[in-house]
Amino acid sequence: MRTQFNFLTRDLHLYIGLFLSPFVVLFAASVILLNHPDIPLGTSIESKTDQVHVDLPPGLDRLQGMERLDRARQLLRQAGVSGEIGFVRYSAEEGSITIPVSKPGYEATVVVKMDTGAASITERKTGFWNSIIYLHKMPGPHLANIRGNWPVVRIWAWLADGTAWLLIFLSVSGVYLWAVLRSERHVGLMLLVVGLISLFGAWYAICG
Amino acid sequence: MRSAVETWSRKLHICLGLYFLFFLWLFCLSGVVLNHPKWRVAGFWNERKQMSSELQISRPAETDDFLAARSLMTQLHIRGEISGKITHAETGEFGFRVVRPGDIYEIKADFGQGLARVDQTHVNGWGVLNMLHSFTGVRRTDPTQQQNWWPTGIWRFSMDALSVGLVVMVLTGIYIWYNRAQRRRSGMLALALGFLTLAGFVSGIF
Repeated sequence: MRTQFNFLTRDLHLYIGLFLSPFVVLFAASVILLNHPDIPLGTSIESKTDQVHVDLPPGLDRLQGMERLDRARQLLRQAGVSGEIGFVRYSAEEGSITIPVSKPGYEATVVVKMDTGAASITERKTGFWNSIIYLHKMPGPHLANIRGNWPVVRIWAWLADGTAWLLIFLSVSGVYLWAVLRSERHVGLMLLVVGLISLFGAWYAICG
Repeated sequence: MRSAVETWSRKLHICLGLYFLFFLWLFCLSGVVLNHPKWRVAGFWNERKQMSSELQISRPAETDDFLAARSLMTQLHIRGEISGKITHAETGEFGFRVVRPGDIYEIKADFGQGLARVDQTHVNGWGVLNMLHSFTGVRRTDPTQQQNWWPTGIWRFSMDALSVGLVVMVLTGIYIWYNRAQRRRSGMLALALGFLTLAGFVSGIF
């Protein structure tokens, strides 16, 4: 019975670990890039600014939150732009509405004149390294009411959460396997304690 | 019979995993909370405590803004990372912000009157955890921002070490698995599934 449980734990540790491997590498690499802004990320390619005409959905200037976002999405469809919509800004003074859009490796800003429906689209390809930083930060704590308005970001949010919870599972199952397999018993115990002391030491230096 | 490389891969996998266990939990938990700003525990900012005080100071001897700010921090018993720009208001006020996980200080010093106003914002334990998640002292979006407090350097190094440690654990784990012929095919399926899923997101296919 116990042996069966051990085998099951080992298999789960193995297969979940293998599935998560690319995700762990992504998060680890993006941490290094975020921690060291002096590492160049390659060049961003600013593409041409397109001008298109769009039919303005009613209420775009008045509505707030998800309702405004739904209207903005309708407008983006006409402009042929897709992605996560950021903070939509309406300027009565300029008579325009600005819609920032992003997805991994891509950013766009769509500015629509409210009187004519003329939309200018500025697109930028941000490259591979920026795309992994983008994924690391998504969905994140900002713009909570509108975040995840693009289905891909919603799915990614599930995967990002899943990666965190499954990493915790991997660490717990790893400790269990280490305990029952009795390998590296003394060194392992020492490292566990040293790791805990290191964390509290760093914590104390910062917060103490 | 295990090869020496496999034996050492196993040792490394176990040892790194045990050393980084608590660091990993901290970043996993804070990462999940950061992704769910509507959760109750993520509402630490709404539950923040704000305190203001006015304290006597003496004009720092240093002429350099950064050194003068550090000197003021010593006088005010404030520790942390100087974040953002140091400002000089038209009224002669010398202002700067100090951050460390759990506390944010806005300091405005009037050297003429010898007074400093300190506005402190204090967040609870969840707030500390979340601030630790991204406490690097640097920003990609602001190249002028430089890390300027030694504990931030230690924390940044911990983040780097955890990242490198995790990559080494991934590599040693893959090596250990690949040497198990029985699990090679099924393991390949799990690895490929993970890789293709991620590649879809990174490449923008999805």
